Amino acid sequence: MKAVKDAAAGSLESSDVLVTVTPSEGEDNTLSVDSIVFRQFGGRIRSVAEEVIASSGLAGAAVKVQDRGALECTLRARLETAIERALGRA
Amino acid sequence: MNNPVLDAREDRWNRRRAMAATLPAGWSVLSFTLRLPAPLRLGGDFDRDAEGLFRDLVFHLGSRGFPVESPSFAVRADGPEGLCAVRGDGEAVKRAVVEFEEGHPRGCLADGDLMDSLRGENGRKSLGLPPRRCLVCGRPAAECVAGRTHGTGEVRASVDRLLSVPGGVPGEGPVSAIGETARKAVLFETVAFPKPGLVDPLSRGAHGDMDCFTFLASSAALAPEWERFARLGFRFGGDDPAGLLPSLREEGIRAERMMFSATGGINTHKGLIFSLGILCASAGMIASEGIPLSPEVCASRGAAIVRGITGRDFASLKGTADGRPLTAGERFYLSDGVTGIRGEAERGFPSVTGTGLPSLRSSLAKGLSLNDAMVDGLLALMTVVEDTNILSRGGREGERIVRENAVYALELGGMGSKEGKEAVREMNGLFTRCNLSPGGSADLLAVTVFLHLLTPASG
Repeated sequence: MKAVKDAAAGSLESSDVLVTVTPSEGEDNTLSVDSIVFRQFGGRIRSVAEEVIASSGLAGAAVKVQDRGALECTLRARLETAIERALGRA
Repeated sequence: MNNPVLDAREDRWNRRRAMAATLPAGWSVLSFTLRLPAPLRLGGDFDRDAEGLFRDLVFHLGSRGFPVESPSFAVRADGPEGLCAVRGDGEAVKRAVVEFEEGHPRGCLADGDLMDSLRGENGRKSLGLPPRRCLVCGRPAAECVAGRTHGTGEVRASVDRLLSVPGGVPGEGPVSAIGETARKAVLFETVAFPKPGLVDPLSRGAHGDMDCFTFLASSAALAPEWERFARLGFRFGGDDPAGLLPSLREEGIRAERMMFSATGGINTHKGLIFSLGILCASAGMIASEGIPLSPEVCASRGAAIVRGITGRDFASLKGTADGRPLTAGERFYLSDGVTGIRGEAERGFPSVTGTGLPSLRSSLAKGLSLNDAMVDGLLALMTVVEDTNILSRGGREGERIVRENAVYALELGGMGSKEGKEAVREMNGLFTRCNLSPGGSADLLAVTVFLHLLTPASG
């Protein structure tokens, strides 16, 4: 499903994460990850994000993850909400 | 989203952004939260500590020269939070917040985030400051949080240990800050020179029975007292500030005893114990309410504490004849209706907020040293203060001499000019010969310095 609008979920507060989804050309998704704990958890954040994006069926979107040390459950919830919003469902 | 905690946090983020967008340049939004894992943050056990910490933080910013507006504290689904607007350079404000987080006995539990309309966030990293440390192990906190390194029980034990460390009741940080500021003000006033007619390090002025060391001995004896006044104000729970006066009186009598025993019975600071004691209590009361600090707020709360004191004190004076020797203030009220320091306090220290403090700050702004700015402040006070020290020694004629000479020295440029300095030097000789000691103005100079240091003017 194509992303239909700009959407965001979360915040840049400590222990939270801000996920933004922007519609882009074509069917492919792009993912960028920035984290204050990138060295330790960058890989894990990326794989969680890829997994959530894949299972959502999102297409044609640029997903940006700005992590401030969120727990994995928070990261998942923020990703899901941002994608729902970008798909026009929430 | 079905998670109320995450919803609440996102909601706060959006409120912060909306608030930052409406602020004029030079203002930031400060968001305060507890730096605790959700199970502890949401339990309600730390809501009171959070509120105390937020008030301390608001006070701290005020005392660093950053005015705060519309502080609000609430407990929401994400736990306790405080929000307010702060004026000042974003980076400087952030540094003051970090200073609080690192320096307050419980600051490590506080998380203060800043956002301004231009640059967005001002974080520790962008200022080159070290990251927050984990409450349990001291490693960079973000790593332990993201990796769930420590269980809730382990964090709880660390927090309980933190809260058991002496450092006063949660939220009493301002009490020691107020006490320290008062101690400084008293010492600064003591060593400022030249102070015409008064004791300073180079002259005894119109005093044969005391010198600078008498004042230093008295200052040392009074050093622990100011904090006690501040604490009385901080812990006062009543609705009417005037209800605090009886306990301040008791404390004042105690402080006077300390003074007299340190000086061998000489009155160095009796008037100052009254005015500065009231203002320490006033500052403490304001801090406990989370009201942003300013000289005017502090002085007018002081007035509320002593409301009606002139009428009450002097009415009883007329009604009794107990043979006690009258103070200078009491004699001049009876003969001339002069209300002296009581009236000054009851009107909210107008000589200080309207004359002494503006003069001190304007001289500092011109680049004068603190000493010279204090002397200018003293001259300015002499022109307006109803000084019962002067009246008792020199009557209305003495008052006229003091005021005219102070006006003249200021017209010559005060301590900012050679002629002004010369005039001040001559005043010292004149006042000493005429036995005139503007002690009331000297007390109010210490009050001026106190308010200046406690509530720095910011650009």
